[in-house]
Amino acid sequence: MTEFSLSKVWIIAKREYLERVRTRSFVISTFITPFLMGMFLILPTLITTSTARNLVHDSQRPARVVIASDNVPLAELVTGELARQHGTRYEASVVSPLSQAQRDKLDKRLTDSAIEGYVWIDANAIATRRVEFVTRRMGDFVLQRRLGDAMSYAFASLRMVQNGRSAAEVAAILQPVELTPIRAKNSATQFNELRGAMVVFILLFVMLFSLLSYGVMVMRSVMEEKGSRITEVLMCAASAQELMAGKIIGTGAVGLTQIGLWLAMAGFGASRSLYLRTAMTALDVGPPLFVYFVIFYTLGFLLYSAIFAGVGAIFNSIDEAQQWNFVVILPLIAASAMILPVATASNSPIAVVVSMIPFCSPILMFERLAVQDPPAWQLALSLFLLIATICAAMFVSGRIYRTGILMYGKRPTFRELSRWLMHA
Amino acid sequence: MTAAVELLDVRKSYGGYAAVDGISFAIPPAHIFGLLGPNGAGKTSTIRMMIGITSPDSGSVRLFGERLRRGALRRVGYLPEERGLYRRMTVGANLVFLGQLAGLSVATSKERIDAWTRRLGIADWVDRRVEELSKGMQQKIQFIAALLHDPDLLVMDEPFAGLDPVNTMQLKDVLMELRTAGKSLLFSTHRMDQVEKLCDSICLINRGKAVLQGSLSEVKASNGRRFVQIDYEGDGACLAGSPLVDSLNDYGNHAELRLKPGADSQELLRTAMRALRVIRFQVMDPSLEQIFIERIARRDD
Repeated sequence: MTEFSLSKVWIIAKREYLERVRTRSFVISTFITPFLMGMFLILPTLITTSTARNLVHDSQRPARVVIASDNVPLAELVTGELARQHGTRYEASVVSPLSQAQRDKLDKRLTDSAIEGYVWIDANAIATRRVEFVTRRMGDFVLQRRLGDAMSYAFASLRMVQNGRSAAEVAAILQPVELTPIRAKNSATQFNELRGAMVVFILLFVMLFSLLSYGVMVMRSVMEEKGSRITEVLMCAASAQELMAGKIIGTGAVGLTQIGLWLAMAGFGASRSLYLRTAMTALDVGPPLFVYFVIFYTLGFLLYSAIFAGVGAIFNSIDEAQQWNFVVILPLIAASAMILPVATASNSPIAVVVSMIPFCSPILMFERLAVQDPPAWQLALSLFLLIATICAAMFVSGRIYRTGILMYGKRPTFRELSRWLMHA
Repeated sequence: MTAAVELLDVRKSYGGYAAVDGISFAIPPAHIFGLLGPNGAGKTSTIRMMIGITSPDSGSVRLFGERLRRGALRRVGYLPEERGLYRRMTVGANLVFLGQLAGLSVATSKERIDAWTRRLGIADWVDRRVEELSKGMQQKIQFIAALLHDPDLLVMDEPFAGLDPVNTMQLKDVLMELRTAGKSLLFSTHRMDQVEKLCDSICLINRGKAVLQGSLSEVKASNGRRFVQIDYEGDGACLAGSPLVDSLNDYGNHAELRLKPGADSQELLRTAMRALRVIRFQVMDPSLEQIFIERIARRDD
C-alpha cells in the first residue's frame, strides 16, 4: 500500500490547479494587486513633486511667486536663478520698493489666488540672512527648497559682485556641483537607494503575502474535502500521500502562476516606464534575483503548505483552526518584523541567525541575497536546514493528514494526535 | 470461484473503542451482499477496510483472492452515501476526474460517461454544476462515478438514499444486470425492504460484531417460522394459556402470535384444533425488519 503513483498526483494536482485558477477571486487578486501596488509606489511621488501639486491644484500652470525687495539687483538675481534652474516652472516677478501698502497689496493678491506666495527681503532680512516667504503652499517643500537655493545663490553672487567680481566669474564660481554615486565592488550600497529598496520590499511583500494566502488555501481545500465524502471516494482510488502531494503541488502551481503573471506585468511595466526600469537597474534586480525568488518561494510554500495541510486535517472549520493558524503564521510575522533590521545590516550576526531559521529563511535569506551576497556556506546551510525541515513537516503532516481527513465531528486531543503520528 | 472480497476475523479499534470486532464474510462473484446494522454499528469502518482507506488492526482483508494491494483497488468501485462529488465542478468534469483517477484515459471516460448518462436519463445535465442538481440526481452521478471503470466489486453505502420510486427501479435494474454479468455487489443500509428484495445474503452487525449472517433464506429459516396467524371460531383463551406462545395479539376471531423459541408450530395447531374451529392457520416467515429489531433490541437490553 506504499506505492506512490506520480500520474495520480498529477491528475489530482491538475484538478486542484484548474479549479483554483478559474475562480473569480484568483483573477481579481491577480489583476488588482499590481494596480494597488502601483498606486502605493506612485502616490508618494505624486504627492511630493510640485508638478503633481500643480496637477492636483492648479493644473499645469507655473507657480507664481513675487520677490519683494528694495534691492532690485538682488531680487533679479533670484528670479534669474529660478528661471535658469527650473525654466518655466516658476513665474517670478520683482516688486520694489517695500512699504506697508505694498505688503497689503501682496497679501490681497495672495487671498485672490493671483500668486502662490511672495518673498519679503527687507534690510533686516539681508543683514540676518533670514527671509520670510508668505505662501498659500505651506506643504510644497520642493518650491521652498528651490526658492531657498535661488536666494542663497543671489545673496552670494551679489556679495561677490559688490567685491568686484564679474558676473561671468560669479556664475562660474557658484556653478552647482553634481554628485554621481557609483557602486563599490562587492557591496550593496545601492540598497539605500529608495527606488531599488522598494523593488526588494515589494518582492518580500509578495513573498509574504503569497506564502500566507496559498498556505491558507491548501488548508481550506483540505477542510472542504474533509467535510465531504469525496475524501473516501478519492482514497479508494489514491493514497493519502498522493492526495496531499497533489493538493500541495496544484495549489503551489496556482501561486507560481500568479507570481509569474505579476513578474510579466512588472516586466511589461518596466519596458514602458522609465521609473521602473531605473529602479530595477539601480538594485541589479536581474534574472538571478527572480530565480532566487522562485526557489525560496517554492521552498517556503512547501514548508507552510505541509503544515497547513496538517492543520486542515485536524480541524473541521476555519473558525476552529483560527488560534492554531496564528501559531503557524507567527514565524512569518516575526520574519516580516526582521525585514528592516536585515536590510540595514545584512551581515550582522542577528541577520545571519534569523536567515538560518527555516520558518523565516524563505523571506530573510532571500532578502540578504537581494541586499548583498552572503557567503556561500550560509546560503547552503540555510537551504539545507529549510529542505530538512520541509521533509520533516511533510512526514508529520502526512501522517496526521492520512488519519485526520477521515475523521468527522469532534476534533482530536493531543493524545489522539500523537497516536495518529505513531500509527504506522 | 474466488470471492471478490473476503474478510477474516477483521478487527479495528479507534482509541480503545472497537469499531469492528471480529467480522468475517466473503462475497462471491455474481452475488449481492447486504451489510446491515443500525447507525454506528461499524458498517462504514468495515467498508473502509475493504476499499483500502484504512487497514485492520488484526485479521485479513483479501481482494480477489489476494492480500489487499493498492493495485487491486482498480477493480473496486465505491459509492459513498452522499456528497461524494465536488460541488463546484460540473458533472462531466467530476466524472472525468474520477475516471482518470481510476486509471481511464480521458477519451474512454467521456465515452462511458456518455453511455451511462444516456442510460440513466441525465445526459442533459453533464455540463451543469453538481450543486445545481437534486439529491437524487447527484446520487445517480455518484453511481456512474463508481461504475465508470467497470469494477468487479461494487461497494455502495445506502445507494437508494434520496431516490424516488422510478429512479430506484432504474438503479435496481442496473444492479441486477451487474449481478448477471458476474459482478459482486455489497451495499450497506438500514432499509430492510430493499435488502429483502435484492440481497442473496446478508450480514447484520451491531456494535462491531456480526449478529447474524448467511444467505437470506438461511437467515429467515434459522430465525423463523415463529410467527403464526390463525383465523378461528370459538374461545381463543386456549391460545393465551398455551405454554408454546411467547406473545399474542388476539382480535376475537383472528390472532397473531409468536412462538416461544424451539416450540413446534404443529403442536400449536393440534392444541388449537382441540378447542377451536380453525379456519386458517399460517406460519409466516419473519420479515427481515422483525429479525433486525428483535436481534438488535435483545442485544441492547
